[in-house]
Amino acid sequence: MTVRVEFTYEMSKKLGVRVIDVDAKTVADVVDASRQRFGDETEAFEQLASRAALAVNGVLVRHRKRLKTQLDDGDRVTFVKAAAGG
Amino acid sequence: MIKGYAGRVLEVDLTARRFSFEPLDEETARLYIGGKGYGTRLLYDRTEAGIDPLGPKNPLIFATGPLNGSVAPQSNRFAVVCKSPLTGGIGNATCGGTFAFGMKKAGVDVIVVTGRSERPVRIDVDGNAGTVEFIDAADLWGKGTYETQALLGRKKSHAVIGPAGENKVLYAGIVSNERIAGRTGVGAVMGSKKLKALSVSGSRKLDMEDPEKFKAYTRDVRAIFKGHPVLGESLKRFGTGGIVNTTNGRNILPTRNFQKGRFDDAMKISGEWFEDHELVGVKTSCIHCPVSCGRDVDVPGRGVVKGPEYETLALLGSNLEIGDIKKVSEWNYLADDLGMDTISLGATLGFAMELRDRGMLDTELAFGDPAGISELIQDIGHRRGLGNDLADGTRRLSEKLGGVEFAPHVKGLELSAYDPRGSFAQGVEYATTNRGGCHVQGASMYLESVGPLTINPQNLKLKADLPIVQQNLACAINSMVLCIFTTYGIVPKQVHEMDPSSLSYRTLAFLLENSGPLFRWVQSVKGSPLLWFEKWLTLITGEKFSSGHLQEIGGRIFNLERMYNLREGLSAADDTLPDRILHEPTFSHMKSGHPLHELLPSYYKKRGWDASGVPTARTLERLGVAV
Repeated sequence: MTVRVEFTYEMSKKLGVRVIDVDAKTVADVVDASRQRFGDETEAFEQLASRAALAVNGVLVRHRKRLKTQLDDGDRVTFVKAAAGG
Repeated sequence: MIKGYAGRVLEVDLTARRFSFEPLDEETARLYIGGKGYGTRLLYDRTEAGIDPLGPKNPLIFATGPLNGSVAPQSNRFAVVCKSPLTGGIGNATCGGTFAFGMKKAGVDVIVVTGRSERPVRIDVDGNAGTVEFIDAADLWGKGTYETQALLGRKKSHAVIGPAGENKVLYAGIVSNERIAGRTGVGAVMGSKKLKALSVSGSRKLDMEDPEKFKAYTRDVRAIFKGHPVLGESLKRFGTGGIVNTTNGRNILPTRNFQKGRFDDAMKISGEWFEDHELVGVKTSCIHCPVSCGRDVDVPGRGVVKGPEYETLALLGSNLEIGDIKKVSEWNYLADDLGMDTISLGATLGFAMELRDRGMLDTELAFGDPAGISELIQDIGHRRGLGNDLADGTRRLSEKLGGVEFAPHVKGLELSAYDPRGSFAQGVEYATTNRGGCHVQGASMYLESVGPLTINPQNLKLKADLPIVQQNLACAINSMVLCIFTTYGIVPKQVHEMDPSSLSYRTLAFLLENSGPLFRWVQSVKGSPLLWFEKWLTLITGEKFSSGHLQEIGGRIFNLERMYNLREGLSAADDTLPDRILHEPTFSHMKSGHPLHELLPSYYKKRGWDASGVPTARTLERLGVAV
């Protein structure tokens, strides 16, 4: 399955890319692929990823099956940060 | 007099050109604090049902609260209350800047403007001398809010209208500095009175119960705010524009007149885009605010001016499918200068674009195309051509041209930029909030869809409870009068720093999700002050406030607003959402839209209202709401 992955602003600053397409069956695959994208900077990935929640097509995976959440072709997986304002 | 209040209400009759200073009613201050609460009580008591909101009998009430005039962070707002010409129900809006501070320095808690002037006029209040001047304002009439304030000078604090208010655009606002009391058409009411500007000055100091403790405690809170991930980092760095990518990621960013919750070019209208493209000039703040969420931007041909906030970026950006932050900044400037609400403006433009798509409106206006929008905004402000129709907002436009089912408003007030199909509690809040479809009369979305610790936004659990607690708290906050952002600090830094996938985070989220008893406790506990707004109120007034007190006062204000609306002919039928929101899904797993009608009966019951949405006599008695 090809899914689209969107990084947070901070992650994309580090990677130099905001959006990538990866082949993944579950959210866990997306996380692995994203980690690989960071190459040797695994620690940076873990730190930045831990400040974001993961959403599939807008729904937090916490409300689905977390990393085991199955993906369909064309799904969008987003690392989304918390925010507030008016 | 209770400490924290100046103790005076200024009564101004524009028809007779008379004024008087009257004592503030202490009992009302105890029951309703000040700001929106005090103003609503005055409006209810002084008006009859069915008055013309643009007629002389509609009082325009400017009200501060006991925290204004202090150095407490975010205590810089004043409330404006009147009957809304946009909704026909309760109208109110709050505004930052320096005017609230100016009113307290002038020794005035509340200014009530009644009647109507024959000619353009401005009012100048000298609090020290106890005088009020009525000054001819023909020279200012027609001028924008920026120029008007520049001409009035910096020695006094001003609240002014622009051409939109003068021309009674139904979503015109009142501007102070670069901030606006935007919602419900309070600027049109000011324009109907031919009142161009209200200026205040004086040198009174706030009298408070325990100034030393207040000072020390405020220093501590300021440090908390500065180190807080939202208040001290995110809002400071990206402004409210930092929310765009979050709501887009959660599929709740209004797009194409609320047809979608997702905009592919969201990044291009975000706070992050401002930073990356060096569009930000000076970061600006209201008086005594450490957050500095405002940012100046360079608008070609206009110079460096105030930049757009999140709501504007969404309603004039994604909602119109415009991914050009410079265009949105230009339109934001125009709307501010004309003096109108960018939420209602953006929603109305989006609605007009969809009408055009469906062949129901003959216009060149089109989604994704910025051509002609600047000119149209000017036309709205001056009520010219198509602009005249759009100046009446989406409800009236839909009644005239059709499209009622996709007109994005509640009670006539256009929806804010959190699509409730991905934020169920926010949807209940929109439907039941007395002034209509607004997000800052509760902000349930913070604990549901965008904050660091959220409940599942798409099930029915707590979706009737959360809006009640939030609406009550917002009523109290808007009566002190504080900025709603102060409530975002409630979720501590430690929670922000938790990994959302960690066990401890998930445990906390589970507890929140099952926190019905906690919500009830928050509503009832009357112990010692815990949070800053409770403590500030206590240290300033000398009266004891805790979460239970604020919930009770907020509930009292909310129910009084409700009674006002019922008296004006609104009913449970108005507690709804647009058909589009109720029936059209924006998530792939949804079969329909927002489940409002499954939630409303529970909301009514928990509010102590009958099945028709009318507060019971017992509820009114319990809260001490005299009607």
